[in-house]
Order: sequence, then C-alpha cells, then structure tokens
Amino acid sequence: MGDFSFVEIMGKILSESGFAAMIKDPRSLIMIVIACVLLYLGIGKKFEPLLLVPIAFGILLANFPLTGLLNGPAVAADGSMTSPGMLWVFYQGVQHAIYPSIIFLGIGAMTDFGPLIARPSSMLLGAAAQFGIFSAFLLALALGFPGNVAAAIGVIGGADGPTAILTASKLAPSYLPAIAIAAYSYMALIPMIQPPLMRLMTTQKEREIKMEQLRPVSKAEKIVFPIAVAIIVIGLIPETAPLIGMLMLGNLFRECGVVDRLSDTAQNALCNIVTIFLGLSVGCKAIAENFLTFETIKIILLGLLAFMLSTVGGLLFGKIMCKLSGGKINPLIGSAGVSAVPMAARVAQVEGQKANPANFLLMHAMGPNVAGVIGSAVAAGFMIKVFGG
Amino acid sequence: MSISTESLLVALSGIVIVFIMLAALSLLIVGLSRIVGSLAGNKPAAAAPAPAPAPRPAPAAAPAAPAPVQLSGVSDLTAACIMAIVSDELGTTPDQLVFRSIKAL
Repeated sequence: MGDFSFVEIMGKILSESGFAAMIKDPRSLIMIVIACVLLYLGIGKKFEPLLLVPIAFGILLANFPLTGLLNGPAVAADGSMTSPGMLWVFYQGVQHAIYPSIIFLGIGAMTDFGPLIARPSSMLLGAAAQFGIFSAFLLALALGFPGNVAAAIGVIGGADGPTAILTASKLAPSYLPAIAIAAYSYMALIPMIQPPLMRLMTTQKEREIKMEQLRPVSKAEKIVFPIAVAIIVIGLIPETAPLIGMLMLGNLFRECGVVDRLSDTAQNALCNIVTIFLGLSVGCKAIAENFLTFETIKIILLGLLAFMLSTVGGLLFGKIMCKLSGGKINPLIGSAGVSAVPMAARVAQVEGQKANPANFLLMHAMGPNVAGVIGSAVAAGFMIKVFGG
Repeated sequence: MSISTESLLVALSGIVIVFIMLAALSLLIVGLSRIVGSLAGNKPAAAAPAPAPAPRPAPAAAPAAPAPVQLSGVSDLTAACIMAIVSDELGTTPDQLVFRSIKAL
C-alpha cells in the first residue's frame, strides 16, 4: 500500500474508462447521439414507442465501449468458457428466429380474421400489396447490394416488423438494425406516407364508394381458418413455419374459446416481454462500424420506396377489383394490404370518411390488412428459400 | 447479383407465388365456409348467431342513405373510434347504425 497514489489511480480509471475509449473512436459517440434522437422520436413523437424505445436504448448500451455486453462465449486461457455478454444472450432470440415468432403469436391472438373470411377476395389485395417487396428487391440489386441483402431490404416493403427482422436475421444479419429501424419507422409514418398516394391514385368518386356490409362469420369458420391456413401455407413453403405457424396458433388461442388464459398471455404479457428483448437485441446490433455506413442511408431510402410501392400495388389492385365488381369495392382498402395492422386499415377508414362522411371502411380494410400479414410472411419465406443457401 | 434476367425472374416468381398462395387460401376459405355452413345446416351468410341480444337499431334507419355525421369539437379519427366502439358494444357493425352527430362535451 506504500506506493498508493490517488492521482495515479484516478488517471488509470479515466484512461481505462468508456469515455476515454470514445475519444479514441468517436464513432460510438455518434451512435449514442443517434440513440438519443431515436429515443426522442419514440418518447417525444410517439413513433412506434413500444419498439423504438427499447431499440434506441439497445443502441445506447451497445455503443458504450468496453462493456463486453456483446461478447460471445470464448475459451479462456485456462481452458474454461468465459461468460457471454447479456446482450449477446438476448440476441440469440433474434438469431434463432424466436422473438419474431413469439411476436407473431401475439399478433395472431390479437387479430380477428373475420373480415377476411367474410370477403376472401381481400386476400388478393394483401398479395398485391407485396409488390413493394419485390420491386425494392430489384432496386436494391441495382444499387449494388448482393442478392441476400437485397431480399432482406425488400421485405421492409411488407410493412411487418417481425417479418423484416426474421428475414434480415437469416439473410443479412449485419444489416439487421438498419432494416428493423427502417421498417418500424415507416410503419409509424404510415399515416403520413399513405394518404398522398391514396389521393393521387384514386378519384374522388372511387373514394366515396360505400361498401356493402360484410356477412357474419361463424365461430366454426374462425376456428377452422387458422388450422387450414397453417396446413396449406407451411405445407407449401416450409420456411414460413415460424411466422405462419405462430400467427395461426395465436389466432387459434383467440378463436377456440377454451384457452382464454393462453390467449390473454400471448396478447399481453408474453408479447410485451418479448418486445423488450426484441427491441434491445435489434438495437444492440447497431454498432458504429456496421451502422455508420452509406449502406444504411441506402437501406432507409429503399425502405421508404418499398413502402410506397407496396401501397401503390395495393391501390392499383383495388382499382382493378373496383372495376371488376362494378364499383362495389372502394379501392382505398387496397392500401391496407400492407400488413401494418391495424394502422393501414385506420388510414383507409380516415381517407374514406374524408371523401364520404358516411363511409365506414375500417372492417372492409381489415380483410386486406390481415391478408397482408400472411402475404408478407409468404414473400419472406420465398426470399429465405431462394437466398437462404 | 446485379439486376439480370435471373433477378427479374426471382422477383416475378416471388410475386406470382404470393398471388397463387393467397388466391389458393381465398378459395380454401370459400370452400371451408361452404362446408362449415352445410354442416351447420344453413348457408354461411347466415351462419353466425348474433353475438349478444343487444338492442338493435331501428330497421328503417339502417339502410337509409345516411346524412354526413356532424362533428363538433371531435376529430375524424376520434369519431371513427367512437363509432367503432359503439358498434362493438351493440354487437353490430358501423354500417348498421346511423350516426347523426358527435359532439365533444
């Protein structure tokens, strides 16, 4: 103890601190500023706060130097295994597609497929709104991204966060944060992105169309639906099993009426818990060397284009269905084919009611909206099948 | 992989597969509805019983051409939510109800 020097110890603490490391590599400081901006958007502007707040805090934690939070298990000098970092452990749930699948379980338990069962043709609107996925894929290729990354970027156009995360984790893990942040940011911006396109693509007369009331759907139909969809979709494209399987299981919990406790857990507690882990895991991958690149800007822009093209695809098909049905289908519901549930359906409702105050499109738009969830899962399964190796 | 015939084919096949899959599901729903309806002994359109013996709107009011809803101090979005909640509470759909005005108190 004779050599103890307070100044020396303080100097050592400071020189080995995270702040000292930040001075050596200021990129982590930039990431911390980005995390704070995202926290502001989540808390102050309420942009998808349930996801954006944990994602932003994950970015904050992951970019403090020397924490070891992201370190995987390693073999120490004495041959023993070192403990992995907390965020590395959390990230395994994304790596192995566990969190997105559990989120889909919750979405399934929250979703009423009744409007889709009542008007099965809504499925086609959900399919048309996946146009953005494939066109953004081509645009990403044109901008020089490799096929697997272009496929993961394209899936942003599905407007489905868990699906985008699952695809990115399988096809382009290093681009996961940019893709997830783009997906969730644009989902939050749907009320701003979609209405101008809706007004541009449709006439006042089309927007005024009042749709006929949907037929009632029996309980038996609602119970059989998730079982049949799981069998058909997973049977044809096995890569969709994690998403479609859990989505339909959640919906079966909701509709069968004998597992209310499971349905409630899937909708609330489980979904909320997994949302925390999912957000932190996605955020923790946004470290400076991966995130502060020109590619991130390109992904953000491509994501916006993908969203817009998906909306356009849905609206165009809505117009076709309007013509084919003799003007009985309001083409605005086509825009709800992007799978941001129920935000896109609400936007269709608001725009329809602006054109005709007696218009109630919400339930009609929910059909394409939930079909979009299935459509984007199928599109993602296709991309994983083609580029998953 | 830049844009090539191969990548165009991938994109085209992708959207076609999504369409085929969802069209197949659409047909499946139609088939299931018919089967379930026939097993239940009535047509699918009349398959569901009313969820609750909720008060029904006046029959003459529902199909009439509704006047625009007059909103006083209420945004469109809030009005849409209120209409959806009222419909849900009554066990019906907004199409079956006529809202004349919604006023903020």
